[in-house]
Amino acid sequence: MTGDLSQLAVEASGLGRRFGRAWALAHVDLAVPFGTSVWLRGANGAGKTTLLRMLASLSTPSRGRLSIAGLDAYREREAIRRQVALVSHALYLYPGLTARETLTLWLRLGSGVPDNSAIDELLADVGLTYAADRRVGGFSAGMRKRLALARAQVEAPRLLLLDEPFSSLDTAGCELVETWVRSFVAGGGTVILASHDHDRSLPLCETVVDLRDGQIVASGPGGESRAGELG
Amino acid sequence: MRVVWAILSKDLLLEWRERARTLSVILFAAVTLLLFSFALGPDVEALRAGSPGFLTLALLLSSTLALNESFRLEREDRALEGLVMRPVGATGLFYAKALANAILLALLGPLVVALAVVLYSLEVGPGQTVGLIGCWMLGAAGLAAPGTLYAAMTSRLKTQDVALPILLFPLVIPVLLGSVKAMDLVLFGDAMGQLPSWISLLVAFDVVYWTVCGVLFRFAVEEGE
Amino acid sequence: MITFVSALVVTSAFMLLVDRHEARIRQLGSWLGPVFLLAGASTGLFLAPPERHMGEVQRIMYVHVPAAKIAMLFYLLAFVLAITSLWTSKPRWDDRMVAAIEVGVVLNALLLVQGSIWGRATWGVWWDWDVRLTTSLVMFLLFVGVLALRRMASSEDRRAQWGAVATIVAFIDVPLVYFCVRWWRSLHQVQSSPETVDPMMVLPLRLSLAGFLLLGMAGLLWRARIERARRSSDETPLPEKALMEETANA
Repeated sequence: MTGDLSQLAVEASGLGRRFGRAWALAHVDLAVPFGTSVWLRGANGAGKTTLLRMLASLSTPSRGRLSIAGLDAYREREAIRRQVALVSHALYLYPGLTARETLTLWLRLGSGVPDNSAIDELLADVGLTYAADRRVGGFSAGMRKRLALARAQVEAPRLLLLDEPFSSLDTAGCELVETWVRSFVAGGGTVILASHDHDRSLPLCETVVDLRDGQIVASGPGGESRAGELG
Repeated sequence: MRVVWAILSKDLLLEWRERARTLSVILFAAVTLLLFSFALGPDVEALRAGSPGFLTLALLLSSTLALNESFRLEREDRALEGLVMRPVGATGLFYAKALANAILLALLGPLVVALAVVLYSLEVGPGQTVGLIGCWMLGAAGLAAPGTLYAAMTSRLKTQDVALPILLFPLVIPVLLGSVKAMDLVLFGDAMGQLPSWISLLVAFDVVYWTVCGVLFRFAVEEGE
Repeated sequence: MITFVSALVVTSAFMLLVDRHEARIRQLGSWLGPVFLLAGASTGLFLAPPERHMGEVQRIMYVHVPAAKIAMLFYLLAFVLAITSLWTSKPRWDDRMVAAIEVGVVLNALLLVQGSIWGRATWGVWWDWDVRLTTSLVMFLLFVGVLALRRMASSEDRRAQWGAVATIVAFIDVPLVYFCVRWWRSLHQVQSSPETVDPMMVLPLRLSLAGFLLLGMAGLLWRARIERARRSSDETPLPEKALMEETANA
């Protein structure tokens, strides 16, 4: 994955988002380079999803500055979307399509040529080969999650945003996520994941950011060493 | 362009897979025609004279059903948002959806016209039948563009089933009048050569709205510009 | 043609002046509007001669015609405001847009009632599918629909965007509706231009026109102000920046 490594994946200053009367996010400052992983930690309602959606350019900030891969979040949303993939609670899947058709559609949407062997490989990567031609409507939650992860891979993003990636997944599925995150970061991309799963997230991510009531209250190193430190 | 086709074929494929729902739209149109004949009573002449109106109203009423359907697909799992996230752009998305809707409505045409010919004892030659179907197609195209735009907005609301007709119907009155008049002239003769004017009205409406709605669509599907 | 050009002139003047001179325009309109309306009404009722064919009943034209013209003007203004609102995303344009639509809708309702009364007096029926009245009814439904859509939208952003989209779509529909209804049916009295009419009839028309315009402007700006106040009362201030803690035990 090529990219100007001097550019920041995420650069935010004074970021805020208001919904009606409440400020879901406020005073958020971030500087996340490429080639790293961040664990976004916080209680329910702390603002993790709001932040991830804003980084995905699905919603505009109410105030503050934000740029993703050097692109302005207010004016260059379409360009940002080409660089970002979001896997969230809503998986963006069509129950009427098969797994294979879903990935084919996604490839075609990115104006890629649907390459059957590439799709087969992807399906194998996420362990869905056996269900390739079954309709998504009949999938379990875990299967859907895996397909959503494959779908995000198709998008070939530089910034990967994961909202509760470990939910609905069994051990094998979780390990899949971990492997993917590691190789993604090794390839020069950045991963920001929000999760309640402490045991998996801490060793996986280089940085930990604590969010409370929409504000960043702490940030520090994560990673294997830290996990080891704290037993 | 390829991307528009990708979304369009996805929509058509999904419609085909859930054909029970598509059939229900056809059934609804048929029932509407039937209801009109009961409302007017067995007066053959009155039914004949009113048939352009009944056909157009059947088109209008089934269109809201079809339009709501096309966005219902997108609401599970918020798939529409997923599409917005792709480089396809809102405009491409609009044309794909609007075309899918137009095609679905257009396909109803031959069936419903055939039913009307039977129910209302219309005496039509092949040329007239084709003419009627043509008017239906133009009407369907006219409804599909603003309908897709509004359906994208109302599908997010709790009151969606009611909201769409309220918003759409006043807007498409030119389509309503154009379609009724054109069908009337096709069926009962066009002594004063008015048909071209009505057809051009329908075409003008189609051109204007397919353009304008395409431009405006992104404001209907984005959150907070 | 002249009507359209003057409408454009008024609309452009409004767009250029409103940011700077809002309070002034509002006050001017609030005071002068009723004065002109009163002048128009009195000259129309007492000074102008009765019309040759229709007699005294024709006097309703002195409020009906201006109401119709100014309603259209405000819809045009709403259209321009909608485009501006989408282009700039600044909430004050949305405030003004909804205000313009509401003024337009009120005048529209007024003209429908007036037209109906006039129709009853002249043709004996409350409603007869006259081209202009029918188009006005459709316009009324269209713009009330816009207001309804705005109400249904759940968030501020959506309200502004959807409202603007619906306004643009509705406005573009108006000429289409007009033409097709005209082809469908035509009974309305041909509008007489000022030259062919007794000069004493032109005066009340012009006075009423000015009156509706001024009062309408004032109404728009007052309503926009209310909307602005509601919006800012909804806005809670930014919370204080929280203190950074040490990373809590992981």
